[in-house]
Formats: sequence, C-alpha cells, structure tokens
Amino acid sequence: MTESSNLRRNPDVSWRTIEGQSVLVFNREGEVQVLNEIGTYVWEHLEEGAEALARNISERYEVTPGEAQSDVAEFLQDLRRSGALLEG
Amino acid sequence: MDRYPDGDHFQAVPPPAGAGGFTVAVGGLSVGFEGVLPGVLGTCRDHYRPFLSDAIPQVTFRLGPGWENYLDLPPDGYLRLEERPLGPGRVLLSHTFATLWHGASGELRSASLEDFETLKAGIENTLRWVVADLALESHGFVLHASGLVRNGRAYLFFGHSGAGKSTVASLSPDCLLLSDDLVLLVRREGTWMAATTPFAGTLPQTHKQAGLYPLAALYRLVQAPEDFVQPLSLAEAAGRVLSCCPFVTDPPARQDRLFPLVEACCRAVPVRALHFTKSRTFWALAAPEATP
Repeated sequence: MTESSNLRRNPDVSWRTIEGQSVLVFNREGEVQVLNEIGTYVWEHLEEGAEALARNISERYEVTPGEAQSDVAEFLQDLRRSGALLEG
Repeated sequence: MDRYPDGDHFQAVPPPAGAGGFTVAVGGLSVGFEGVLPGVLGTCRDHYRPFLSDAIPQVTFRLGPGWENYLDLPPDGYLRLEERPLGPGRVLLSHTFATLWHGASGELRSASLEDFETLKAGIENTLRWVVADLALESHGFVLHASGLVRNGRAYLFFGHSGAGKSTVASLSPDCLLLSDDLVLLVRREGTWMAATTPFAGTLPQTHKQAGLYPLAALYRLVQAPEDFVQPLSLAEAAGRVLSCCPFVTDPPARQDRLFPLVEACCRAVPVRALHFTKSRTFWALAAPEATP
C-alpha cells in the first residue's frame, strides 16, 4: 500500500475544491484533473495517512475496510503517476 | 548558451537624440515605452494605433541596447520565455530581449532598437507580461482565447495552441474581433467584461477597436467530428479556464490569487465545452439567441 505520509502535493499543481469537487491544474502542462467526491476527500485529507483515510472512507461511504484500503492505495498511485503527488 | 543579465545590464541609459515614446492602454490598463528611435516610432504607433493612449501609464519601460542573444532559440523555433527575480524586481527574458520590471518602471533591453520586428518582440511580450499582472492587481485576468462580439456581447472561445482559436475568428467575419489569442477579462460594476487587446494570434489585427463588452459565455474549444455543446461542472470549468491563463511564471503564488477570480467569473458566466468541426455552424450552438 502506498503510504500517503510519504507523498506530498506537487507545488506545481494548483488546486481548489468547488462545489465538493477538487480540480487540479497542472501548471506546466496545462492539464486538468477533476476528482470525484471520494477522490476529493482523499486529496484534502492526504496528511492523515493512507490507513486513516481508508478507515474514514469505509465509515463514510459504506465500503468494506479492505475495499477502501485497496481503493485508496490505487488512487494514490494514480495521483503519483499523474504527477499530482510527489514522493518524499 | 543561455546568458542571464545582472542588475548592471539594466542601468538606465540616456535616450538617443530624437527618441520618443508611446502608451498602450488595454481595458484601462496602461503601459508606456520610452526611448524609441524616431525611425521605428511611427511603425510602433501604427501597430498599436487603436490602443494608443494619452493617459499617464501605470508602468513605463525605457528602451536600451541589449545583447544579441539572451536565451538560445530552441530547435522547434518556438518562443522561449523565462521569468526570474532580480533584486527587488523581476526579469522577463527571451531570445532577443530582456526586461526588468519593478513597480511603476522598468528597463527593456533589445538586441536591436532599429529593427521593428526585433523591437516588437520585446515590446509585445513585455506588454503581455505586464498587462496579465496588472489585470490580476485589478481583479481581472487574461485568457488565451478568441474573443468575438455578437449583438453587443462577447463570446470567448478558449484553448491551448492549436485548439482552433484563430479558426473560430476566421469563420466569424461578421463579428467584432477582440483578439484571436489573448483577451482581457475585467469586472466593472459587478459585470464581467471582455476587452479588446492588441495581442494577435495568426489573424491580421486590422480594424480592431479598443472597447469593453459584457461577457455572454465562455466556450472551451474541442475539435470534434460533429458540433455539440457539453456542460461543464463548475470545478471543471474553473480548472479549464485557469489552465488557459498565460504567464504562469510563478505558478503557486500567482495561481493562488488567480483561482478565486476565475471561479467567480465561472459562477457569473456560462462556461461550456464546444465540440466543433471547424465550420461556421458552431454559432447556432454557441449563441442561439444571437444567430438568425
């Protein structure tokens, strides 16, 4: 599982949450990524760490802890691959 | 090899004999240039004719001789622009010019002061840089868009290079052209307005008239095999618009100020994606109320 505590938001990605959706703008590339409700929750609460995120998502969105854990891990990997999150 | 000037490079130089100046006003934002040689002053004035102003400029740049090369030209020939801090000011650099800006004044150094095309590169890019910043100071912003006025209201078609901005403009000969490259958006008495700018993409900028027009709608250009309009969530709309705001040279700080403004504009004005086939039929979708 990707530990979100090892990940940080890329300072070259501007973001803002509008009407419950976080939108990420990759300043150099001009790309735009809009996150859904759960993605927005993860993005906004990144500092809590992957375990706590999965636990809270499991409680808030009625998914099993196992599903939440794998979904969070996958989502963090996606964000890392897209460059929205940086390691270290 | 790239060469970066230091503060000494921008020491003020006395203006050449007979040199003059001019002031350009864009949507109420004014920028002056002084020390222009008599041989090119008329051409500069002609180029910016609809935007010449007698107002006291908010920022004045003095021209002086510069190096032959600052930044190397990339193999693809695209213009390279870099901004970096220098002392209390900031420097904008490209191949043939370097401009230092601090407060209400600045120094522009050009590889040639006699050759209009070379000089224009420095003046034009300095103007774009400063207008984008002054706009932000006055709670507006500059957008990479084609701006067209139909029935007295401005329609903006925004996108990155190659999205079709100039195509949209060339397909609209009956509309007043604000710009086919960069449009200034400002709020006046609670209404978002679009301003004509001297900034051109690929279309000749003849017959431009400086003016401000109420903003009717913003369309993100998407080339497609058929014409249709797609609604955007407010979050996506704001993100798409922000991604087309130029001069993101100090991204984190500038974008943090820009994002709320862009969101406010997107709340006030419809923002949609326009999938279009590069035919004139797009107007029936973009402005049905203004299309016979």
